[in-house]
Amino acid sequence: MCDQTFMAATFGPCDSCSKPSPLMNIYIKNEATNYCSLCVEMMACQGLQKGETLESLKRESETLKKKLEEERNKLNDVELHQVAEKVEVLSALSIKTRRVLKGHGNKVLCMDWCKDKRRMVSSSQDGKVIVWDAFTLNKEHGVPLPCTWVLACAYAPLRSLCLIMNGYLGLDNKCSVIPLSLDKNENLAAKKKSVAMHTNYVSGCSFTNSDMQLLTSSGDGTCALWDVESGQLLQSFHGHTADVLSLDLAPSETGNTFVSGGCDMKANVWDMRSGQNIQSFESHESDINCVKYYPSGDAFASASDDATCRFYDLRADREVAVYQKDSIIFGASTCDFSLSGRLLFAGYNDYTINVWDVLKGTRATILFGHENRVSRVRVSPDGTALGSASWDSTLRVSWSFSTGSNYIFRFIKLLFWVNSRLVLEFTVAF
Amino acid sequence: MSNNMAKIADARKTVEQLKLEVNIERMMVSKAAAELMAYCEAHAKEDPLVTPVPSSENPFREKKLFCEIL
Repeated sequence: MCDQTFMAATFGPCDSCSKPSPLMNIYIKNEATNYCSLCVEMMACQGLQKGETLESLKRESETLKKKLEEERNKLNDVELHQVAEKVEVLSALSIKTRRVLKGHGNKVLCMDWCKDKRRMVSSSQDGKVIVWDAFTLNKEHGVPLPCTWVLACAYAPLRSLCLIMNGYLGLDNKCSVIPLSLDKNENLAAKKKSVAMHTNYVSGCSFTNSDMQLLTSSGDGTCALWDVESGQLLQSFHGHTADVLSLDLAPSETGNTFVSGGCDMKANVWDMRSGQNIQSFESHESDINCVKYYPSGDAFASASDDATCRFYDLRADREVAVYQKDSIIFGASTCDFSLSGRLLFAGYNDYTINVWDVLKGTRATILFGHENRVSRVRVSPDGTALGSASWDSTLRVSWSFSTGSNYIFRFIKLLFWVNSRLVLEFTVAF
Repeated sequence: MSNNMAKIADARKTVEQLKLEVNIERMMVSKAAAELMAYCEAHAKEDPLVTPVPSSENPFREKKLFCEIL
């Protein structure tokens, strides 16, 4: 199944037999130890001798799961939307799609913003990665790749490295890094450097805060942390029992955690240094397609094929809101928060983007325009705009205008248009 | 036989993992929700999608046509 061929996390002397070999991180009596695979099997045997059977262990895990439920329910004294009744209702949002970026020849599968707040990178099934200037709609770079299923891309925070992933067609289960330069004549594809390698497709990737490390999630059921320069595996994260579809790093500068979501319907929170699974949330009823941290880092949202988005608080250790409507029956494939965390933008397979009021749990507005599934939504780093990518091969940028100046601006535009028409007729007359 | 041992090892790992998860410290939902709300309210003014900025300050606005005409 998922990670059987990818069990070796580190290499070194086993804590039990001291022989150097690939090691597995396991927990015995709540202590983390590293055992080689032989010693893990021997430990399992020893367990058997003490009267533990597979059945008794399964019963114990069932009891523990019930206890976990009870402990979580003890703290559920009030619902988030009840607490949020005190908050002002959002004023009518005037978020609309203002720009359409055309240029890809096939489905756009992923997009990301650059930290300079104006550049976007997008990857498409036509095998190209394009860097756009969102202000002028110009294409700055176009990188063709040998693989047609480029699942994701991301901008590195500091050094403008663009990250690309190659999917599962062919032998590419790798994650590559390309340094971007302003010289348009440079053959960027030749500078592509493979960093990560999984045993199945790579579904999600993210640079860490330091820009020197890369976190990837994969269809082999694991996540992994890599050193970009050397391509070395630093840590691997085991715990999902099916494909991991998405990951997101905690926003804090000193953050050492990330959340991942997958086809096993679970969202797991991990410690990057130890590789341990800290918390696990299982309330979705289908694959989790996307997970995203709340801007404060104390909560996260997930978007799923069960047509809902859910909001989980990490300190209360439970789901605190479900964003759903009877009229929404198509799965949500992507989600992102606005800068303050008040709005949750979610892209659905029914071609729309629903904007949810995170605190009150209601839908604030809905964005139409895409002509096929929305594959990715991302809010720009300064929070001014929302970028969305779709299978209709376009990207759209949406933002909101304050309605007062909107009318004034339209009037000014009309004046200029009238003026330009008069000038034209004047010149033609002569 | 070794498959059975692998299953037992998996089951023991699951049990240990659940023990860890049961024992973490938790906060009441009312307190956690209050803090989430406080964060939203504190940052709402700076959020251009919640409180729209005038279009003159919006970097994405269409460039004015002054230069083209003159």
